Parts: sequence; structure tokens; C-alpha cells
Amino acid sequence: MLEIKDLHAGIEGNEIIKGISLTIKKGEIHAVMGPNGSGKSTMAKILSGHPSYEAMSGEILFDGKNLLEMDAEERSLAGIFMGFQYPVEVPGVNNAEFLRMAHNARRVKAGEEEIDPLDFDDLLSEKMKMLGMEKKYKERNLNDGFSGGEKKKNEILQMAILEPKLSILDETDSGLDIDALRVVSEGVNKLRNENNALVLITHYQRLLDYIKPDYVHVLSDGKIVKSGDKTLALELESQGYDWVTTAN
Amino acid sequence: MSDTLVESSAVSAFLDLHKKLIEQVSPALTELQQVALNRFELLGFPHSKHEMYTYLNTKGLVETAFGLSDGSKKVSEDFVASHIYPDCESQCLVFVDGVLNRDLSRLEGVNTYLVPLSEAVSDQELKKYLSETAENENDVFAALNTAFCGEGLVFKVGDNTQISGPVQVLFVSTGGSPVMHVPRLVWQLGNLSEVKVIEKFVGVEGGYFINAVQDWLLAEGAGVSFTQVQADASDSWHFSKTRVHLHRNSRFHSTNASFGTQLARHHYDVRLKEEGSELRLNGVSVLDDKEQVHNFIRIHHEAPQCVSHQHFKNIINGQARSSFDGTVIVNQGAQLTNSNQLINNLMLSNDCHADNKPNLMIFADDVKCTHGATIGQIDEEQWFYLQTRGLSARVAKELLTRSFAKSIIETIEFPEVVKELNGTLLKKLEVRNV
Repeated sequence: MLEIKDLHAGIEGNEIIKGISLTIKKGEIHAVMGPNGSGKSTMAKILSGHPSYEAMSGEILFDGKNLLEMDAEERSLAGIFMGFQYPVEVPGVNNAEFLRMAHNARRVKAGEEEIDPLDFDDLLSEKMKMLGMEKKYKERNLNDGFSGGEKKKNEILQMAILEPKLSILDETDSGLDIDALRVVSEGVNKLRNENNALVLITHYQRLLDYIKPDYVHVLSDGKIVKSGDKTLALELESQGYDWVTTAN
Repeated sequence: MSDTLVESSAVSAFLDLHKKLIEQVSPALTELQQVALNRFELLGFPHSKHEMYTYLNTKGLVETAFGLSDGSKKVSEDFVASHIYPDCESQCLVFVDGVLNRDLSRLEGVNTYLVPLSEAVSDQELKKYLSETAENENDVFAALNTAFCGEGLVFKVGDNTQISGPVQVLFVSTGGSPVMHVPRLVWQLGNLSEVKVIEKFVGVEGGYFINAVQDWLLAEGAGVSFTQVQADASDSWHFSKTRVHLHRNSRFHSTNASFGTQLARHHYDVRLKEEGSELRLNGVSVLDDKEQVHNFIRIHHEAPQCVSHQHFKNIINGQARSSFDGTVIVNQGAQLTNSNQLINNLMLSNDCHADNKPNLMIFADDVKCTHGATIGQIDEEQWFYLQTRGLSARVAKELLTRSFAKSIIETIEFPEVVKELNGTLLKKLEVRNV
């Protein structure tokens, strides 16, 4: 599904990602862990198509297509979802209306008819119930004045509405209390199936108690320094990042 | 020709024009109009260094030799009907070229409130107010209106009268030639009376100069909801002055939506004269090409415990220009005043222009006053975020532009007006976006 080949990338000419290769197949969950400044967020930005970040060399293929040539909109329509570490507040844009627009953009791309507001409301209510979100979040403006936890839930709600092939969740667990983390994780687990894939970018092992990864990769100074199965996360938890970073 | 000569020749052209007019004016108003004419002559046409007109280029206006309408131009009923809002069908005043046209108006619901200005001035208090206002007028265009209005209209609502449903006032300018229209309205609201008014300015053809003046005199406890839609022809000139006098516990809530013209200027002069009065003044303008909107605002807090809120938003594209000059004056003794003023500008092109001059003058020591202005572009992070959800760059930008205007448009309490503005005011930018 996603193939990253010897990717070098950064911002304003500073190389932050220094040669990453990673293959993600459908049905898989990959966790990318690493200390602060290791390049986790840069990797997320590059995958989402943020205009400030540039790939210097290497390539990224999504379903065989060159991802780096696609803009953010095309990536989304192709089935990539980015869960933001810091979801952006957009005052004045109604949450439900925005979600319907995004959902319809996806439908139109797939050659389907747009869904009308009433049918969409049913779909939205169902997904919100799954995430334990109160109805008032339909009426409110997109992330505007939401608490940290509600913003993250709203990201997962968008993921549920857009049904992406590949979701990249950037530090979705940060800022969540344990109850919210449980709800968000359950939501993510319900959205999993054998045809989609998930990349969890996280600093803490805690999230992986709830969403079990198939692979864990440790990022340090822009490179993957160690890969393994979920036991690697537990080792990191007990021994700290120094264990892998100094071992290299 | 130098600017000064142009201005003085324009002034003398208006003075000549006035000689022809004054013979037709009701004797009850001649004195008032003469006072206004003298004031006009004294103030003279503004030059760009005049403090009140710093941001305006009035040269084209001053250089045009305007005539007055002879009332011969007709407007089709269909044109008028297309601009009357549902719910206003039985309460609509239609002014054609500045004069009330009773045939086109729908007066069933409001006839009892209408009094010609020439009759209304038999009320000595109103006469005194008008004379004093004319004598002290500081806005040359408002003086010009009073000098030339010929006849005006008073909308008088008695004590304890609440008019149900909105009253619409439609100002139609036929245009096509350089003619000045000078509609003059005085709204007199008795104790505890209430009225909701929607005003709309439209033009059949352009090239005209509409110079409107309104006075809102609110007695104790009166309440007004005032919505103005300025949708004149883009090659016209639109000047309006709105004076508001608020007495004890009265409320004036106003929202102006402007499409802009080659030069549109809204002048508000509000006096919160007695305790507990409240003002809300909102505005939104959407400008493109070489359009311009200027808001000139003076709010006088003259009594304690009064509230004034101002929020203006401008969306500016092309080579358009928005300017704002607003001052809140809190008099000595106007303790516990609560006043705020905010101007937000959204710039969509490299050649557009925004000037802001928010100002506060406080002479009392126990007040809460804020003011501020922002000038910005589309937020890149918001724009990117929306695109990562599959919205195209164009749609995402439109959504953000609309959301910017939304908070003002939503303060309009008439769904039909909101719908219209969403469909027309904001639509004018879509063609150009991205």
C-alpha cells in the first residue's frame, strides 16, 4: 500500500529525515516511536503534503503512485488520512457541514452521488455515538474552542467519516486522559479491517496497550534505528530511548 | 484646473442649483434648508487632506456636475418586487431617486406612521432638533442632503407601539446620468416602542450619487433592529449618514452589509444620551476590483451605564480599498461605560488596501473600553487542514472566506436577508478565488 524508499526530507533546507525506508501493507498497524526531535512529526507532515516541508530525495509510493507529486487534496481523495497532532481551529466553519463537505468530496471522487444533509446526519450521529461525542459538537465550529481531547476525538470522527485506506495518526494520544484515550483507541480499533492500514506516530508506549501494532519502528535522528514487533515497545518503555539510540 | 478651483466651482454649481430648487420647497422647510445650505457653503467640499476624508478620493465626485432628479424616471414594478423581501410585502416604503413613491410602496401596514417632514416640523421639539443639527453639522454631504432634500419623511411610532414584522425601505436609484438623490428620513420612536427595519439600496443603472441622511430618535425603552444592505450599482457613489440619539434604556442594533461602489461612505454619529442605553453596530463589506467602502464612526457616551459594541469585517480583493475611522468618546461622568470596537480585514490579493483608525477618548475613570484592528490573509494552516480532508484549494479558500464573514451576517435576524447575502455578497468573490 505504502512504500517509502530512502526518503530524505526536511524544512527550509534542513534535512531532518535522513534516509527512511518503510513498507506498509494493507491490514497492518505500524507504530513509529522515538524521542522528541527524532523526525516523527516531519515524517507525518511529508506524508500529508504540507507545503512547508520538502522531500530532498527518495520516493514514496501509495498504491503504486508517486505520492510526492500529489497535493494534500489528492492524497486525501486517494485514501490517505492524517490525524493531526495539533488539529487546527477553524472558527466560522460548522463542524457537521464541514464533515459533510469532506465526505461528499470523497463520494464525488468515487463517482457516487452526494449524500443529502438528513442522511448524512444519521451517519454522523452513528459515528459520534461510537466515539462517545456529545451532539453539541455537530453544531459547533470546527475544533473551535474544543478541549484537547475533543479535538483528537474530532480527528477520529473525521477518520470514521472518510473511511481512509491508510491513516496516519500523529501523536493522537498526547494530551488525552486515560478515559479519552480508551474511547479514541476503541474508535480506531472499530475502524480497522483487513483492507486498511494504520500508522501510529507516538512518543509513549501507553497508546499501544490499546491499539496493538504489528510492527514497531524506532526513529532516532531521522533514521529508523530499530524495528520489531510489539514487544519492542515494551522494552523501550522499561529501558528508555537511550537503549536504542546509544546502541547505534 | 487645481483641486481648490474644482472644489469651489462644484460648490458654486450646487449653490446655483439650490436657487432653482428653493422655489418649490414647502415654506415650512425653507429656513432649515437655508441654514443647511449656509453650512454647506462654509464647510466646502473636502480635499484629501481634510481629516474626515483622509482615506477617500472624492475628486471624481467633486468633478462631476450633478443635477437633481425631475422625478420623471420610472422603475418597473417587477424590478421593485424583485428587491422586496418576503414578510415585508405589506410594509415596504419605496423611494425612487430619493423620493417616496406611494404607487410602488406597500403601505397598508405602516401608513399611520408616516408624516411628511414639512408637517412634522410643527412639532417644535423636532424642529429645534433639526435646526440645531443643521447648524452644527460637520459633514458637508449631510449638509448638502438637508439643503436639497425638498421633502423628507418622518416615521413616527407612538408610545408603547410595537410594529409587528419588519418594515422594509427600498431606495432605488434609476441612474444612467449624474444625478444626486437625497432621501431624508427621521425615525421617531416613542417610549417602549419597537420597530425592525430592513433597508436596501439598489440601482437600475449606475453613475448616480445617493446621499442619504437618517435620524433615529429613540425615547425611553425603545428598541430598534436595523439592517442595511448596500447593493448599489458599482459605478455609483453612495454616501449615507445615520444619526442616532438614544434615551434611557433604549436599544439600537444595526448591521450593515456593503457590496461597495466606486466610493461608498457610511457615517454613523451615535449619542448614548441617557443611562442604560445600548448600541450594537456591526458591518461587513465584500469588495473587489476598484471598489471602496469607508466607515466613519463617532460614538458619544454621554451618560453612565451605557453599552456600545462595534464589530466590522471587510473582505478585500482586487484593487479594492476598505477604510475605517472610528472614535468612541466617553464623556466625563459617563461612568461604567462598556464599549468595544473591533475591525477585522481579510486581504485576498496583493493590490488591495485596508486602512484602520480605531480611536478612544476617555474622560471618565471607571469604564471598560477596548478597541482593536486586525489585517490578515487566509490562514495557511487552516487552508492546508481543510485540503487534507479532500477539499480543493479553491473550495477550502471559499469556505474560509465565508466563515470570516459569517459571524457578522449571522447577527442579522432576518433569514431571507441572510440567505440573500450568502447567495450574492459572498458569491461575488468566488469567480476570482485561487
